[in-house]
Amino acid sequence: MNLRFLFREMVHSRGQAVIFILCVALSLVSIVAINSFRRDVRSVIVSDARSLHGGDVIVQAHADFSPALQGELAEVEKGQGVTALTTWEFYSVARRGDGGAALFSNIKAVDQGYPLYGRVELLSGREFIDVLAPGRAIVAAALLERLNLAVGDRLLLGNTSLEITDVVSRESSRPVDFFNFGPRIFVSTADLASLDLVGKGSRVNHQVLLKLTGESRPDQVAARLQARAATGQEQVTTSTNTGSRVKRFFDNLLFFLSLISVFTLLLAGIGMQSSLAALLRRKVKSFAILRSLGATGWFLLRHYLVLVLLLGAVGCGLGIVAGLLLKQSFSGLLAGLLPENIVLGASLADVVEGMGLGLVVVVFFTFLPLRGIEEVKPATIFRKEGGAGRSRTTTRLLVVGGLLLLFGLVVRQLEDVWTGLYFMAGILALVSLVTVLVGGLLRLLGRANYQALALRQAVRSLLRPGNASRAIVVTLAAALAVLLAIYLVEQNLRATYIDSYPADAPTLFCLDIQTDQKQGFVELAGGAVELFPVVRARLQAINDSRINREAELQRRGDSLAREFSLTYRDSLLDDELLVAGEALFGRPDRPGTLPPVSLLDTVVGMGDIKLGDILDFNIQGVPLRAEVTSIRSHTRSMLYPYFYFVFPEKILRAAPQTFFAALKVAKEEVAQLENRIVARYPNISPVNVGESAVELGRLMEKLAVMITFFASFSILAGGLILVSSILATRMARMEEAVYYKILGAGSAFVLRVFLLENLLLALLSGGAAVLVAELGSWALCHFLLDIRYDPYGLASLALLAMTIGLVVLLGLLSSVTIIRKKPGRFLREQL
Amino acid sequence: MTDPILAADRLSKHYTLGGQKITVLNEVSLAVAKGEFVVITGNSGSGKTTLLSLLSGLDLPSSGRIAIAGCDITGLTEDQLAPLRNSLTGFVFQAFHLIPSLNALENVMFPAELKKDPEARAKAERLLDRVGLLPRRHNFPEQLSGGEQQRVAICRALINGPEIVFADEPTGNLDSRNSDGIIRLLLDLHDDQRTTLVMATHSQSLAARADRVIRLNDGRITDADRGEQ
Repeated sequence: MNLRFLFREMVHSRGQAVIFILCVALSLVSIVAINSFRRDVRSVIVSDARSLHGGDVIVQAHADFSPALQGELAEVEKGQGVTALTTWEFYSVARRGDGGAALFSNIKAVDQGYPLYGRVELLSGREFIDVLAPGRAIVAAALLERLNLAVGDRLLLGNTSLEITDVVSRESSRPVDFFNFGPRIFVSTADLASLDLVGKGSRVNHQVLLKLTGESRPDQVAARLQARAATGQEQVTTSTNTGSRVKRFFDNLLFFLSLISVFTLLLAGIGMQSSLAALLRRKVKSFAILRSLGATGWFLLRHYLVLVLLLGAVGCGLGIVAGLLLKQSFSGLLAGLLPENIVLGASLADVVEGMGLGLVVVVFFTFLPLRGIEEVKPATIFRKEGGAGRSRTTTRLLVVGGLLLLFGLVVRQLEDVWTGLYFMAGILALVSLVTVLVGGLLRLLGRANYQALALRQAVRSLLRPGNASRAIVVTLAAALAVLLAIYLVEQNLRATYIDSYPADAPTLFCLDIQTDQKQGFVELAGGAVELFPVVRARLQAINDSRINREAELQRRGDSLAREFSLTYRDSLLDDELLVAGEALFGRPDRPGTLPPVSLLDTVVGMGDIKLGDILDFNIQGVPLRAEVTSIRSHTRSMLYPYFYFVFPEKILRAAPQTFFAALKVAKEEVAQLENRIVARYPNISPVNVGESAVELGRLMEKLAVMITFFASFSILAGGLILVSSILATRMARMEEAVYYKILGAGSAFVLRVFLLENLLLALLSGGAAVLVAELGSWALCHFLLDIRYDPYGLASLALLAMTIGLVVLLGLLSSVTIIRKKPGRFLREQL
Repeated sequence: MTDPILAADRLSKHYTLGGQKITVLNEVSLAVAKGEFVVITGNSGSGKTTLLSLLSGLDLPSSGRIAIAGCDITGLTEDQLAPLRNSLTGFVFQAFHLIPSLNALENVMFPAELKKDPEARAKAERLLDRVGLLPRRHNFPEQLSGGEQQRVAICRALINGPEIVFADEPTGNLDSRNSDGIIRLLLDLHDDQRTTLVMATHSQSLAARADRVIRLNDGRITDADRGEQ
């Protein structure tokens, strides 16, 4: 290995080397930050699993436990070192003691001794166990603030008045407060009966938490209890395998951020390839001279391979450091969403993983340009020669191998093979679309006739060999398209669900209306109120194939394993249309042998369900087998009430049920009506839809900022490719500028040519990005989200202007010294 | 000599290389009459290319003055020099220096287009036809041989009818057959249009055909047939 040769090569090509290093670093920054953050979050969730879930074994149901399970629980509790504790959690409305303002709140009734694991810290500094007693309530600070109450005041909950005795400052089972609709209120289980809020069919989460300090193993105890639990109604889990909303939220957020970071990695990879290819193009003559002096292709290849790996290692180091620094900014970006006890640190795993990942990426994106070195023939000194025609099969095998490696990397990052495949296919489709579009535009530009000399020169310069115009435009356009599409989809979602909440849409949802409260509730609400029956049930099997609960819990988005709300009616709603099936419940003249069920199209996709499929439900212990007779779609926004499963009235009329009401009340009257409802029917849970939309908007905004922040890294990749190309073509530009001057052009002309060239580059990139982003966002909104699409033309124009500004500025900055160059001096330097 | 088209007075050019001052041209003066064919000759490193570069305004002298058609160009900026380069002078280089992104026709048209000459295309085609390259007008420089590229460069130098054509070793990169062709072409054009031709060359045969030969050695004129020092 000739180290001096290596050093010389590195020094002579320092500009491109810096770009290459920056591309490697950029490819790693976001991925290292996200992976390291994921490790931190999971570490908190796993290490604090018992504190988070409150026990070693968690037994839960939405109603009283079945006698069999109760019996088995009693047996388990007799065991040595077993401590059991009961909690009830539900939503209801709390009012000021004077009957004034009301607030939808999360109530948790707990036994003495709560929590078994973790802590509930109080503002007073006292122990939770010493403060909570019958007749008392411990509340979140937000409740005091919003109801204008203080410690010592009275709070009306259901039929009972409670004294507020303290304020919760931190709760280990609720490390993040953002996902909770209402502020927390702790009460004693001894008060539960007098509250009278937990009725039949109420939306309650009933838990028994077990702490095992003896020889019993949580998984064995859980298995024992599970054997006696009513399938589909009662769940028994351990702290290590139970799901958590916090984990689910972070899994989903990190999944989306991972998608973007892998996208950035791919773009930065293109940057690496482009900068290396540009560097090697400049070196072709030198390679030919070295070959003519006896250097073998392998000599050149191995030196450049080492050079690339050295630069790659430097880039990896830089990327890892930058990534870990970037991670520190998460505490600001995700303020209010992070568990309080999370430590954003750096670990050896971050460094090892980053270095490994970086070097794999470097090898993948550079092996093709590097292989080209071997193909340089000595005759290239005299004239451009084609490659030696190295075996195409070998190259193809290498490309396929590299793609598989890349796919493996993507799958590892996204933690799912199918998602990885869809992602790769999506990226391939995006890049192909942009490439075809840009290729077509460049060809059109090249073929057109231009009257203006400067414009013609700009076009010719843009298409100059070695300019990598296509690579720059494709990369920039793809990055900008993703960024703009994120913005457009977010804006359209916001416009549909938050900003322009439909005037005729319900403003108040009321849940858990009991059958005997229907009449009184309708009168209270002022007449025309539509009530929807709700029957809680779980889907057990599709065509006798049981629902895989474990797999469903891993699924992103909605899950078939959750409890569903069934309803019954004999006709379609105003906002529904039939998309499959002859009638809602099949043709009356050809009744089936099984009860019919109509499905909403959303749930059809979740389980690949078709017309005629047989579904098995468990309705609070009672099995129901039904045949899918129709598929519905709803035409209005998701804030309207809708049900996945609709049965004929005669099938479910006798099932235990509550009612759901969607009320259209003037916004200013919502609070008063809430108060009236809660005062009369404390068990009914009113949900202020407008307020929820605002909360949803805040969350969306926060997440959009985070996603946009990460997506902007991909823009940097495009910028680096641009700078790389500018460096690679600097000599060609200088040569052209000198020729223009020799032939009589002034510096204004030269400047105009460069300006137009950069302007064209920016217009092509920005234009292609806007076109692809608008098309993609429209398709997403129209076909997937089913919402009205607004193209937000101003945003597209702003993006175009920003692209023009960035590209023109970078281009002109690099051209200043070129324009000043004296022709004679340049020509002399070329001798 | 009355009203020379090109005059240089005590031209010097120094460079600093590694902290050391190197004098490439030392107090060179000369005058070229309109229509004259002047050859500058000398050994490699004698300063021929530097002198040509200064005389044509492509580079600035360290001291001394240059006038083209009575206009002192020494203190002119690049932008002030631009119209002079476009109309008064033409250049032919040893390395051709064609614009690689333009085809042969566009290369030739370019100076005329800068001047907004509506006849640019027709003139370029006439010139290319004259040098036998009209059928190759859509070829790019890399698709042309060295001799063909130089013929295109000559057409480009002549399209605006310059008063003076500067040629720096125009046959230096060509074989003898192509060299003969290029020299014949330059001399024919010189004879036909009475264009002043200032050429730096090693070629003794070319020097023999010049109106005047200026010999340079170590940055000084050592011998000039009818030349002035």
